[in-house]
Amino acid sequence: MKYVGQSIERVDGIKKVTGDLKYVDDMKLPRMLYAGVKRSPHAHAKILKIDTSLAEKYPGVKAVVTGKDFPKKAGLYLTDKTFFAVDKTRFTGEAVAAVAADTEDIAKEAAELIEVEYEVLPSIHDAREAIKDGAPLIHPDLGDYRIVPIFKPVPGTNISEHFKLRKGNVEEAFKKAHRIFEKEFYVPHIQHTPIENHVAIAQYDRDKNLTVWASCQSPYAVRAALSDAFDVPLHKLRVISPAVGGGFGAKAGTTLEGIIIPLAMKVGNRPIKLTYSREDEFVSSYVRQALHSKFKTAVDKNGKLLAVENEFIWDGGAFTEYGVNIAKSAGFAAVGPYDVENIHCDSYAVYTNNPVGGPYRGFGMAEIHFGIEQNMDHIAREMGMDPIELRRMNAQKPGGTTATGAKVDAACGLEETLEAVVKEIDYHTPSEQPSDPNKVRAKGIACGMKAPSMPNNAGSSAVVRINEDGSAFLSVSAQDLGQGSDTALTQIAAEGLQIPVEKITIKTGDTDHTPYEWQTVASRITYSAGNAIIKACDDVKTQLVNLASQKLEVPKEELILDDEHVVWEKDFTKKVPIRELSLGLQLEDGSGVHGPIIGRGSFVPEGVVNFDPETGLSEKPVVFWTYGAYGVEIEVDKQTGNIKVLKATTCFDVGKAINPELVKAQCEGAVVQGLGSAIFEEIIMKDGKFQNPNFTDYKIPTSGDMPEMTIHIAENPQYDGPYGARGMAEPAMIPAAPSIVNAFYNATGIAMNKLPLTPERVVNALKEHNK
Amino acid sequence: MKIKFTLNQEIIEHEVSPNKTLVKMLREDFDLTGAKEGCGGGECGACTILFNGKPVTSCLLLGVQADGQEITTIEGLSQGNELDELQKTFISTGALQCGYCTPGMILTAKGLLTENPDPSREEIKTALSGNLCRCTGYKRIIEAVEQAAKNYR
Amino acid sequence: MKSFEYFKVKTVAEAIERLQENPDGSHILNGGTDLILRMKENHLHPDRVIDIRGIEALSEISFSKEEGLFVGACVPLGEMAHHKSVMKHYSMLADAAELVGSGQIRNVATMTGNLCNASPLADTATPALVLKAVMIVEGLNGKKEIPVNEFFKGVRRTALEKTDLVKGVRIPYEEGLQGSFQKASRRKDVDLSTVCASGVIIGDEYRFALGAVAPTPIRLPQVEKLLKGKEINQETIKQAMDLIEDEISPIDDVRSTKEFRIHLAKTLVQRCLEQMA
Repeated sequence: MKYVGQSIERVDGIKKVTGDLKYVDDMKLPRMLYAGVKRSPHAHAKILKIDTSLAEKYPGVKAVVTGKDFPKKAGLYLTDKTFFAVDKTRFTGEAVAAVAADTEDIAKEAAELIEVEYEVLPSIHDAREAIKDGAPLIHPDLGDYRIVPIFKPVPGTNISEHFKLRKGNVEEAFKKAHRIFEKEFYVPHIQHTPIENHVAIAQYDRDKNLTVWASCQSPYAVRAALSDAFDVPLHKLRVISPAVGGGFGAKAGTTLEGIIIPLAMKVGNRPIKLTYSREDEFVSSYVRQALHSKFKTAVDKNGKLLAVENEFIWDGGAFTEYGVNIAKSAGFAAVGPYDVENIHCDSYAVYTNNPVGGPYRGFGMAEIHFGIEQNMDHIAREMGMDPIELRRMNAQKPGGTTATGAKVDAACGLEETLEAVVKEIDYHTPSEQPSDPNKVRAKGIACGMKAPSMPNNAGSSAVVRINEDGSAFLSVSAQDLGQGSDTALTQIAAEGLQIPVEKITIKTGDTDHTPYEWQTVASRITYSAGNAIIKACDDVKTQLVNLASQKLEVPKEELILDDEHVVWEKDFTKKVPIRELSLGLQLEDGSGVHGPIIGRGSFVPEGVVNFDPETGLSEKPVVFWTYGAYGVEIEVDKQTGNIKVLKATTCFDVGKAINPELVKAQCEGAVVQGLGSAIFEEIIMKDGKFQNPNFTDYKIPTSGDMPEMTIHIAENPQYDGPYGARGMAEPAMIPAAPSIVNAFYNATGIAMNKLPLTPERVVNALKEHNK
Repeated sequence: MKIKFTLNQEIIEHEVSPNKTLVKMLREDFDLTGAKEGCGGGECGACTILFNGKPVTSCLLLGVQADGQEITTIEGLSQGNELDELQKTFISTGALQCGYCTPGMILTAKGLLTENPDPSREEIKTALSGNLCRCTGYKRIIEAVEQAAKNYR
Repeated sequence: MKSFEYFKVKTVAEAIERLQENPDGSHILNGGTDLILRMKENHLHPDRVIDIRGIEALSEISFSKEEGLFVGACVPLGEMAHHKSVMKHYSMLADAAELVGSGQIRNVATMTGNLCNASPLADTATPALVLKAVMIVEGLNGKKEIPVNEFFKGVRRTALEKTDLVKGVRIPYEEGLQGSFQKASRRKDVDLSTVCASGVIIGDEYRFALGAVAPTPIRLPQVEKLLKGKEINQETIKQAMDLIEDEISPIDDVRSTKEFRIHLAKTLVQRCLEQMA
């Protein structure tokens, strides 16, 4: 293949290295106003009264809105959220009112002048408490909310989703067990910290057209949510995402867009911009849900996992419009990349008065694998087995079954990826110890898996237009968040059209002009948009071949595309340049045939079916699973508790790397982001109030923390993926934290069941252990 | 207040209020939006510009402090359409993804290589530790700086 | 940021005059990495800001064995840390300066500013204490010198009058001095100290200072007295460690519990001793 599989340079490099690319906060529109937001200081409180009079009078203020202006609920899977608090606030930092003003400073000052009277309500901050009967209800009207039918909320409680997986018979299996292991784990809230904070601009003209510019992963999802919440029909609602400075899930769905719409509707066609500060980004966008997990595992005398009973209690925060799907996704993955015949899993999305949980790279997988992979090492040690051997024995393999009873794909490359990292890190050779006796080194391994967790009908579409000079436009609404989709998708189009990458311009992110894309999430874009593009290119090919067949007088079936031409495969000298046919065919007598070449492609995955509502089983619940493994070597300073990750190696089975260097770059970023979640990152909360919403006290890895990285790629093709590709951007992070924690055990003999491994926790654990 | 300073090699006279930060002055008054405000607290480095050739976080400087000084932003790094070596190597090694940290990262690297044309890997890592990146994992960024250092010499 | 009057002064006298016009409402702008941040966060709103970076004499850094090291108030930490006399004769100070913030911050922030902020965890404070630094000040009543161990009065409070300007820091030269600076933080680069420590041996005299374990950076007189003239061995180290706990009063905060700070204080003093041995 000419284009797919090549590590070509990014198509968007120049505008990014020069600063030419305009992100939404860089945009200055004529007569633009700025929004300022009044936020709730309480985690749970009734709003008794809002007095906006001082704000309204403040010089420079053009409009003020509160929740009662637009009380309609929104939400991706469950409509439980409003963009402003209406009757009560459910988390500290929730928007209560907003102003539009001439400058950002005036907007902030005026927002402060809005006076709100609250009646503070008892608040809950521990999901294990919130799940109990009798806990104060955060959403008493849960039963009335619209919800996608596959989810199972429990009205009258704080449970907005209860996913049940019942495979085989765990009771019987536990009776037959040689040994049973019970473990509990906790993963705290963390935040994505994209370097670009959330930002949006909205403009509502007098013809009732609403235009929104937003840094968002999914313009069509934003469009749908806003249309619903504000009763604006889709043909009059345009969402544009010109550039995204990092997403990681934080910019999926909707967050701040709805705050400025009501303001825009009051100011007579003036654009209004809202830029989140870093503090807003931490507190009032999305966070990764905290997870309390329990595992009970039965093994036979050889180490075969016979049964797993587990429970996931997700701290979903104030709104779980997105979080319900994270609970479900964790539930159907349940035991990780292992073949277990008997599974009993309950996964609950639970409301608390904590910040709003949402999609974060991995979508529940990183959180559950923290427990799953530590558990595997624990079982291996207890059974006197090599942790690698235990994993080999239990790994999902072609011919086996997944947690939902589906057949493991023939292309499952889990074992290959595990062997690659074991070899690269030389896992079975203990680390060489440093000369400093206060430091200790060790290696660790972990595996992981993930599938795109999306509605079965999540669709992609693409349009390809051939220009008169033989160049092409590729229109999709897949968003390049940095992962490189602009480049990879252009390569796929280049391959399909046999037109070089440099002659194809990709257009994205404008719901008026680029066709439907469900969302850029779930590591689904290469697979889904890629397939849509192949179909669009096939459509172009069909049209070109029809015309060329007439011109060259050869059968259509014998014509191929090659090197910007339509060529007769029996005689390569008989060909016609694509550009000659771009506006149709002109016959010798001057008349025209067909007209401009436009190709279109639509794709939804086929054969994906719902889970059984009682058992959670399904023969094909997802389009694919991506498997992979990590190996790390760490060094622990036993006196200060600081951990350094010295080396990291990863291997993921990506099916086909459309652009190998881009795939590796994603894996490198995932290692470092994963390292952050293992040793630094934690939202420190006191009664639901974020104590460290800034980079001073929420530390993410710097270049100084970077380990030596070696990235491997496995390629067992995805049968229905574009050129065999499957998604990998999220899977690439999943084993990071457990591999580090497993290495920590190997270094110190201590199992850490909570993240992160801060210096203080490490030192305390060492002290406890040495007693 | 009136100030006079050199901005991307051009002498500029400008009027700015003392309470406007340098990053906001560059972005709002001059449309030089390459410097980004990622945190407002000098922690993320996305607002980095060169101040008399040295990288500084412009969110913690006042616009009036530019008076009499030389400011270089990312827009001033390329000569017309000719990219600086660092810009080229960032592209060739794949040292950027979402691009938001990239201008600041490149300018910090530029400041380093101006002062220390042959830095060790550790020196590069330390110099860049004030520029946060969430996408790349830093590996290719460091390689891009190493390659640019070679190319400059 | 709220609006304010901005003055860029050319001389020390001018700076003091401006301060005098509104002593309660004025603030000196030097590096600004602390001041501007606090103004943006609305912790501070001075009526006027006096920018001293135009005063040439304050950008001077000089060394002689007789006079010691003089670091002008406006010398950035990065320049100070790489100055050959600092690296040669005050390497622990260079080490500390290099660990303040990021490279970008170090191109702007200064040691004088770091000390005048009087944060209990200021990284250049503990070296200043053990090296017996002196603040060179000028005020309404002329010149004065404040030894650093009389300079810190409380959290973010110093011995300065509102009309005082610090012109720089002078550190004497002591032949045969050995020093060490140790910093414990959550992240290796660009982090505040959870605890920081400085140690000096000169002759048979020990000096130790700790940061982030009390309202101000402090010396450890009891530990110093205990170790004076003694050999460093397991016994003396243990005694010193026990005494440390008595001399410090750390707190719980978002970065650490007080128990962990006690642990780190002991660890870092031990590491100072190990480095100087």
